[in-house]
Amino acid sequence: MRTYIAQRLAIAVLTLFGMSVVIFVLMRLAPGDIVDILFAAAGYVNETDKKLIMKELGIDKPIWVQYATWLRDIFTGDLGKSYRYDLPAWQVIRPLVPVTLELAVLATLFSVLLGVPTGVISAVRQDTALDYGLRIFSLAGLSMPAFWLGMVIILALVAWVGWMPPLTYMSPTENLKVHLVQFLLPALAVGYRFSALMMRITRSAVLEVMREDYIRTAWAKGQSERVVIWRHALKNAILPVVTVIGLEFAFLIGGLVVTETVFNLPGVARFLVQAILWRDYPIVQNLVMFTAIVVILTNLVVDLLYGWLDPRVRYAD
Amino acid sequence: MPRLPLAASLIVVAGLLAVIAAGTPAVGQAPKSGGVLNVMQREDLAQGFSIHETATISTVWPSMPCFNNLVLFDPLKPVESMDTIIPELAEKWSWQDNYRNLVFFLRKGVKWHDGQPFTSKDVKYTFDMIREAKDAPAKLRINPRKDWYANVVSIEAPDPHTVIFHLKRPQPSLLMMLASGYSPVYPAHIPPAEFRTRCVGTGPFKVKEWRKGEYIEYVRNHDYWAKGRPYLDGLKYVIIPERGTRTAAIQAGRLDIAFPGETSKATAEQLRAAVPNMVISEVGANVNDNLIMNVKKPPFDNVKVRRAMSLAIDRRAYVRAVHQGGAVVGASLQPRPYGFWGLLEKDLNQLPGYGKPAEDKAKARKLLAEAGFTPSNPLKVEIKTRAIAIYIDFSSFVINELKQVGVEATLTQIETAQWHPLVTRRDYQMGTNLTGLGVDDPDGNFYENFACGSPRNYTDYCDEQVMKMFDQQSQELDRRKRTTLVGQIQKKLEEDAARPMMGWRLDYFAQWPHVKNLVPHHNIYNFGRLQDVWMDK
Repeated sequence: MRTYIAQRLAIAVLTLFGMSVVIFVLMRLAPGDIVDILFAAAGYVNETDKKLIMKELGIDKPIWVQYATWLRDIFTGDLGKSYRYDLPAWQVIRPLVPVTLELAVLATLFSVLLGVPTGVISAVRQDTALDYGLRIFSLAGLSMPAFWLGMVIILALVAWVGWMPPLTYMSPTENLKVHLVQFLLPALAVGYRFSALMMRITRSAVLEVMREDYIRTAWAKGQSERVVIWRHALKNAILPVVTVIGLEFAFLIGGLVVTETVFNLPGVARFLVQAILWRDYPIVQNLVMFTAIVVILTNLVVDLLYGWLDPRVRYAD
Repeated sequence: MPRLPLAASLIVVAGLLAVIAAGTPAVGQAPKSGGVLNVMQREDLAQGFSIHETATISTVWPSMPCFNNLVLFDPLKPVESMDTIIPELAEKWSWQDNYRNLVFFLRKGVKWHDGQPFTSKDVKYTFDMIREAKDAPAKLRINPRKDWYANVVSIEAPDPHTVIFHLKRPQPSLLMMLASGYSPVYPAHIPPAEFRTRCVGTGPFKVKEWRKGEYIEYVRNHDYWAKGRPYLDGLKYVIIPERGTRTAAIQAGRLDIAFPGETSKATAEQLRAAVPNMVISEVGANVNDNLIMNVKKPPFDNVKVRRAMSLAIDRRAYVRAVHQGGAVVGASLQPRPYGFWGLLEKDLNQLPGYGKPAEDKAKARKLLAEAGFTPSNPLKVEIKTRAIAIYIDFSSFVINELKQVGVEATLTQIETAQWHPLVTRRDYQMGTNLTGLGVDDPDGNFYENFACGSPRNYTDYCDEQVMKMFDQQSQELDRRKRTTLVGQIQKKLEEDAARPMMGWRLDYFAQWPHVKNLVPHHNIYNFGRLQDVWMDK
């Protein structure tokens, strides 16, 4: 198991290095830079002043020098300075991280709590009215983009009861109730799609497992339905579900852009898009690296869970 | 200063008032103190509070409460003109030497937010910096309004409370530029770069917190020089990038007022239906949609081709189709009754593209044929525009109109980051563009957008005779004569297709009825001070 973890960590480090090169080069290849954007707000470009600002920001140097400086700074714990806000990048990024993580965790929790039980019920009651109802419910969830559902939720609330969640972010320490209200609706909007996926995967996996010999044996031994389904069937069907949870959670970190925008939540995803539009390289580079780290860690956790859930994986190495 | 004939003035003012009065909140009740006004903000500050380094409403609107100008357009009057300018940091002013010297007598006892006294040094420092005087003690990183002060030779501060602007030639309109929201006075003791992250002004509100990407919060300046004001305890500009969420937020009462220029006619109708008592004011925005053709690149170096393009586009159909009626046609200055200097309907109708569409299109085909473009040899052009919905709608309409006169146009969308470098380099053949004007005044428009050599004269149109006319109207002291001259210039610019105007946007500024004393102006840039605003709630 130690070798397995060591291999995984080595791959993670290599992936991060690759990511850092790709994001650095891609951002520099995109046309325009922060100085162009600044002049855009003034409606003209002055080439002399532009060169001065580029020098001030250090983006006049060759790309490999800029990259080397960034790597060196990272290893000394310096994430650089936001071009747009003239503040340390860490200071800008720090408040965004908990917002996105919390939203992703809440949406994942919601989807697991809704998707897994309904998937099991749907499989156990295969081809009944309940199964059809749940499948339609999940199909609808998969068909609706989260941002569209979010916008519909907001507009419906405003139109019907004249209410919408508070617009400025309230941390849990400031006001827990308001904080939860702010997260509940976006978590539902995102979690609904995710839970639909979860339900379909669970249903398929449970249906497959239900035909196995050991389930038949469990029935033959006279065990209760609760024990057969939830202990024997679900435990063996859970592997693909865990994979999906891992992949989807990682996807959420970068994929919450529109949901955060619609619900006006100041998270990583929304800010990342703004930073890209502004060509605020230090912010973009660090936010992408943060996302990559979360994705890699999530995958690592999933792999480790595999080992824990399925001894065949654990002993393979 | 000489005035327009009384009858003409009355007609213009009455027209403006009639347009605006329907939705304007009542002024005159006894104000109450207290409360925090929640204000709509569509995007985060571009360069902090550094108004002098930007040309966008997204900076001016949320930064104005921090500052004061020497003079300001009266916040309580919807019409901005020379007659509605009121004192701010200058208690009074005086034109001397036949409009060659403008003397300001400054208010005494005014303090910056950090407690330092405000003096004439601050005024000299600010405007020497903007006009890039040789001995200016500081330099702006980006300086978009230098041209506004090109006629200022020197600025003198003979004592702490007097400032004299010496001019090359008479320019009464200088006062208009100084009254714009774009012209705050900066403190001489703070480097201009610091305004990108914080704000020290003399204004009615002090910045409490700017949470990046979330909100800008102000609190009342208790040492404000205007006794008893501001009435509000504070302001909170809530940054909401998503348009649908912004509209929902004002409808739900999470915001008290809209963002200037934000509310289209369609949105206004939606808000009216949902909240019948919402106060919605139809006002001009001083923002126009225009067609740019690079006069240095064939075939647009040929005025016949440019005029054909202008003739091909039906302005009234444009306003109906692209703005659903939420705009008005006009030449290079905002049309009456929404603006002060625009051409009258009868004069507009004589211009290319403003008359009868079928006849204009026939004339366009004829001109194109004269320039050598026929159905067998059609003119093929590439239209560049910003990759933003309103620009694309605008361009699609233009392409369809051009098709009707045999021009084959294709569209290339340019990302915002690239748009201004592209037009500054003049790296385009034809484009669709939006232009906002800081003041509704010929000097504030002509020199910036049509003068030879101006960086924002994107088409590179340059005519020595027109330049002389610009200078002539600028120093004309008789307003009636100036109006006539300005009218002639507008006609000439449209006939030369220097930058054909498609329409002038209207704003349907929305606010809840408990907000009092907030009077939207016919220009989005100049009514953000908010010191007179109070809440009846």
